[in-house]
Amino acid sequence: MTAILDHQDAGPRDTGPRRSLMKRMLDGLSPSRLMVPGFLLFWSLLVIVPLVVIVLFSFLQVRQFRVVYEPTLATWISLIDSGRWMAVVRTLRVALTMTVIEFLLAFPFALWLAKGCRSKTVKAAVITLLTIPFFLDAASRIIVWRSILGTTGAINTALMSLGLVDQPVEWLLYSEFAVHFGLLGTYFPPMVFPIFMSIALIDDEFIQASGDLGASPAQTLFNVILPLALPGIVAGIVFTLVPLMAAFVEPQLLGGGFVDLLGNSVNSALQQLKYPTAAALSTLVVLLLGLCLVALIRVVHRRIDLAAMFVAMRR
Amino acid sequence: MPSSTTSADAPAATRSAPPILEIVNAVHAYDGVVALDNVSVSAAPGEFLTILGESGSGKTTLLRLISGLEKPYRVGTLKLEGVDVREVPAFQRNCTTVFQNYALFPHMSVGANVEYGLKVRGVPAKDREARAREALRLVQLQEMYDRKVHQLSGGQRQRVALARALVPRPAILLLDEPLGALDEKLRVDMQVELMQLHKQLGMTFIYITHSQEEALTMSDRIILMRKGKIEQAGPPAEIFDSPISSFAARFMGVDNCFEGELVAVSDGWASVAVGERRIDGRWTGKSAPQPGAKVAVGMRAEWLQLSDAPPDASGEHNVLDCVAEASIYKGKYLDRTVKTALGPLKARIWDAASSARHPSFVRWKKGDCIVMNA
Repeated sequence: MTAILDHQDAGPRDTGPRRSLMKRMLDGLSPSRLMVPGFLLFWSLLVIVPLVVIVLFSFLQVRQFRVVYEPTLATWISLIDSGRWMAVVRTLRVALTMTVIEFLLAFPFALWLAKGCRSKTVKAAVITLLTIPFFLDAASRIIVWRSILGTTGAINTALMSLGLVDQPVEWLLYSEFAVHFGLLGTYFPPMVFPIFMSIALIDDEFIQASGDLGASPAQTLFNVILPLALPGIVAGIVFTLVPLMAAFVEPQLLGGGFVDLLGNSVNSALQQLKYPTAAALSTLVVLLLGLCLVALIRVVHRRIDLAAMFVAMRR
Repeated sequence: MPSSTTSADAPAATRSAPPILEIVNAVHAYDGVVALDNVSVSAAPGEFLTILGESGSGKTTLLRLISGLEKPYRVGTLKLEGVDVREVPAFQRNCTTVFQNYALFPHMSVGANVEYGLKVRGVPAKDREARAREALRLVQLQEMYDRKVHQLSGGQRQRVALARALVPRPAILLLDEPLGALDEKLRVDMQVELMQLHKQLGMTFIYITHSQEEALTMSDRIILMRKGKIEQAGPPAEIFDSPISSFAARFMGVDNCFEGELVAVSDGWASVAVGERRIDGRWTGKSAPQPGAKVAVGMRAEWLQLSDAPPDASGEHNVLDCVAEASIYKGKYLDRTVKTALGPLKARIWDAASSARHPSFVRWKKGDCIVMNA
């Protein structure tokens, strides 16, 4: 780290007074005076303001393609009347189920990758494989599953020709199963990576000391590895749950209109130019996510003080 | 692979009780580098056994083999308390380790760390706390039960690690250079404390160190290791006074070591030709070789006497003429280097005032001169 800084220090001095002036200006950007307020301002303009606008928008109405600036609860009432709120419940259920499934799959995998896998080549290969979901656009990646899971798809054809079933299995596509299945691949890496990082950071000596003191592998897992990996687990849950609440490609392509999630509702509302409806649904998403995160933090906080643990892990 | 075995068994006097630890012919290698080469060790109950060696001598491997953290490539016998533990995993062995870097769990309080060994054995919370507080009192940290680990100093962490390892009452306590990271003053205090604890608890301690001074101070018996083999084993006084090889001698702080050719050996006395000179001394090596073989001669700096007049040829001393060279003031003593026919010799002078200012002769008792395997 110091070597890099030294190098940067040495650079501008050679290239004359103009850059050294810039360097002096950069030196003025000390974290306390400018950077922190600057960052906060930038962040709020970028994120908080649109959020506030969306929330406000949900209390407006659009008549004849024109926004009427007149506060009303009409959108919210129609949301409840039309049964669109059911999508909220369904989305929350699917998102939470998927987060749990992803965690149960990702934790053992991350544990193996961080501590079990001895070969560096295998480790590098696996990490590369995990990034593949990001190579392809979600839609083109997901649509392939239609030809595999459909009634005339690869699986059903195989099952039929083997004589295991005489009717094609219907629930493989355009069902909640298909949606869950499609979400599985996309949201596995964001769960694995943070957990992998935090487990990799656990000193092997802690694990050895635990065994040495008489803890069985299972006891070591629950008493040492799991608590020390908690920052990564929380990060993994956040990175998985948050985008899951807004997922719309998989439910649209694999749900076939039977599995309408919030993301789809927002999308269709936008397409019908029902901006206040889209805004209200988005507000709901934000609200639910906020509640989920508060719940998560409270659960974690009751067990361990995360901030103190980061201090402790530095030794 | 060399086939010769090196072993260090518990002395006959303590053999009446069956050994608490028994290792026969342990072999281990990391990535093709031999870490342990047919090593056999045994320890008597209640013994303070020190494994001494440089880094890379295999001493830590030996410890990890006992604790079960490392599975040996091949081992004839590996018994703890008379039970074969070759296939027993670390968590089921009745021994605990004090790690060099403490390895205290950062997410637990001091109390929870100390209780850990009891918690995983299913001891009720109330008993756990009582025993943990007792152990903390033993290491003089009774006030620290509720502290966080990162709030402790290095010395305090070392004590917590010690308490944590003691609480499950293991048959053998393994200590892996536990004082290595402490400063000088703290290290000396902890040495005394460890010795007292050992006496008080009657537990078997196996202590790893690279410091000969620590080994001499604390142990009942020392095993000196070199390149995965046992170089010499015995009580501190024996290793200190009668090193069997020039390696052991240098490790135990014999300042002046020379190679020579054995002229004669009889009755434990040896006569060696070093260059043109003849030096007589005690034979401390293993089996005495034939005359003409290469041997090593060693003498401690503190046994050399300098004088400016030729000493009486009484036959009890080796005498060489010398020219004074450097002189280094060390406070308690003075280190003088003199040039002799053998090469430079280091002499330690405790009474600087009465010693010769320009010495021309150096002499030392034949009994204080050791002759051993090269």
